[in-house]
Amino acid sequence: MTREGEVHGIPADPSAAISVRGLTKTFGNFTAVDGIDLDVPRGQVFGFLGPNGSGKTTTIRILTGTSAPRRGQALVLGEDVVAHPERVRPRIGYMSQKFALFEDLTVDENLRFYAGVYALDPAVFAARRRYILEMADLQGRERELTRNLSVGWRQRLALGTATIHEPALFFLDAPTSGVDPVARRQFWDLLYELAGRGVTLFVTTHYMEEASHCHRLAFIYRGRIVAEGSPSEIRANLSTQRVYDVTVRDADLALSWLETADGIAEAYLSGAALHAVIDRGVDRGAGALRDRLVAAGFADAVVVSVEPTIEDVFVNLVSRERGA
Amino acid sequence: MSLTRIRLLVWKEFLQLRRDPLLLRLLLLMPIIQLVGFGYVVSVDVRNLPTAVVDLDQTVVSRQLESSFTASGYFLVVARPDAETQLTSLLDTGVAKVALVIPQGTQDLLARGQTAPVGIVVDGSDSQIASVGSGYAAQAIARFNASRTAAFTGSLQAPGIDARTRVVFNPTLDPINTMIPGLVAAILMISLMSIMSQAVVRERESGTLEQMFVTPIRPSEYLIGKVAPYALLAVAQLSVVAAIGMLWFKVPFNGSVWVVFVGLALFLLISVGLGLLVSLISRTRQQAQQALVFIMIPTMVLSGFIFPIESMPEAIQPLTYAVPLRYALTVLRGSFVKGSGFEALATPLWAMVGFAIVIFGAAVIATRRRIAE
Repeated sequence: MTREGEVHGIPADPSAAISVRGLTKTFGNFTAVDGIDLDVPRGQVFGFLGPNGSGKTTTIRILTGTSAPRRGQALVLGEDVVAHPERVRPRIGYMSQKFALFEDLTVDENLRFYAGVYALDPAVFAARRRYILEMADLQGRERELTRNLSVGWRQRLALGTATIHEPALFFLDAPTSGVDPVARRQFWDLLYELAGRGVTLFVTTHYMEEASHCHRLAFIYRGRIVAEGSPSEIRANLSTQRVYDVTVRDADLALSWLETADGIAEAYLSGAALHAVIDRGVDRGAGALRDRLVAAGFADAVVVSVEPTIEDVFVNLVSRERGA
Repeated sequence: MSLTRIRLLVWKEFLQLRRDPLLLRLLLLMPIIQLVGFGYVVSVDVRNLPTAVVDLDQTVVSRQLESSFTASGYFLVVARPDAETQLTSLLDTGVAKVALVIPQGTQDLLARGQTAPVGIVVDGSDSQIASVGSGYAAQAIARFNASRTAAFTGSLQAPGIDARTRVVFNPTLDPINTMIPGLVAAILMISLMSIMSQAVVRERESGTLEQMFVTPIRPSEYLIGKVAPYALLAVAQLSVVAAIGMLWFKVPFNGSVWVVFVGLALFLLISVGLGLLVSLISRTRQQAQQALVFIMIPTMVLSGFIFPIESMPEAIQPLTYAVPLRYALTVLRGSFVKGSGFEALATPLWAMVGFAIVIFGAAVIATRRRIAE
């Protein structure tokens, strides 16, 4: 795990897909990005995680050259993106949660527009068009308005248009929010395919289960990187603690009891169940926790010890950060 | 800057316009409807003003005076009360809008060569009637005086005054002739601004703006690609409006086509630029709409489009210099009605050049800043 400051002194790495040092962005009095260091090796799927408003999008904007940082250095594909965004842009792609297709243009017109923007050769465009139509399952629907496509198709078309110029680095800002789980799964398969062809992916998401799809993760919270590493390294963060899954009918009441109970480091909703985190030093097992819950009036409580998920780590990191 | 990319952006914009039939219809029908509507409203003259005559003199002269009022066609005598006191109720109820009071002894005074005061009362609740009514009344009295002077002295000097007054108050031609050129400018501004103000903000809401700016498209290319299609449309609109104005309303065109062309081209740029600026500054379409109203109302009121600048309070008049429409109106009216050339209209034309530079400069800066947020 890399904490802020540790990389300081090591110069930015031009061979990396992204190498950032001391990047800071302020809006008035608000510091959106607070001196972050980041290295994204080429060919990896890099997950950039954090709650809403933590600085994810601002960071992407700086890295794509649409926003200038207050301070700091940002090398993207070896180029200084702040000084020369025009050198970087033809080689990067970007896709946001809005999909950003022209909804009043047809599938084909959208493709032609972006092919023209990247000045694709007609032969290359023909090949890319064929590939994208197949990938997005839109063969025969080239003349439909994108407005009339349903979400899954729109998303895949957006992916296709955003990568029509075969970028070496592809930014995805919460690309799967608002998409159903099946479509999300399919979408990740497409992303793996891209990664398999050597494209570096920089993905932000608030779906924690998506984090485990990534080679490397960085957590950003209140503009600062609070954790970085591979998913297993991240999970090792919680090696001194144990996570219990608590199923109980009156979850709200049980949650408020757990939050104030002795020896419970952390309690929060996780899906339909509750997660309780207990330091190993004071942990006496699932049975002991169940007994306490029953004694407190939650007779139907079921407690199971579980492997910490990325989300558990994340909640934990955030609460540590808040306490600090 | 890449011409290919600009062409691409223009192509895209036209495709989108074609897919929005409502917008296109609005663009071409709105000016026609506005022109015809405004045109007829303006050309409807104040005639047959209901008038009460209180003739306390009851002489030949008093009857002559009354007939000089009615002969003009602007006044229609609806009541002949015996006393002035009865006027109040007539005016209050709106039965009469204007009253003429001829005091007893008017004929005697005039016979003795003295000035005879007559009273004219005008309903001020409608400013249009008040100003036009009192103007016509003054005219009628002037005519009466002139005919008397002419009759008495046989001199031909006096009718000259009458002739001059008549031009100023010529109601059937003047308003429409100055109104149509003004309308051309106002319609251009309204439609261009309302469409432009939505143009960028719509792309921001849909995220396509964000998307385009991570591609090699540059802000200046984007702006040109946005402005060019609408500028072309504006020219089409303009031709329609001008054609209707000249063919339907028979507005004479006395000036130079080039003066009008330059003036309108400048004003077109200003309108597009202002709309663009609104669109760049707004985060949502509703905000853009509100900003538009915020600009539009003072523009209409302060430009001299509806109310003459000369009749505004002196404290307000300096504000009118900040309204671009003011200069466009000066140029168009000057050129249409008076046939003024480049020299005579240099000041308003340069003022518009200044506005265009400032507004487009601001638009470029705003584009850069907005993309970044």
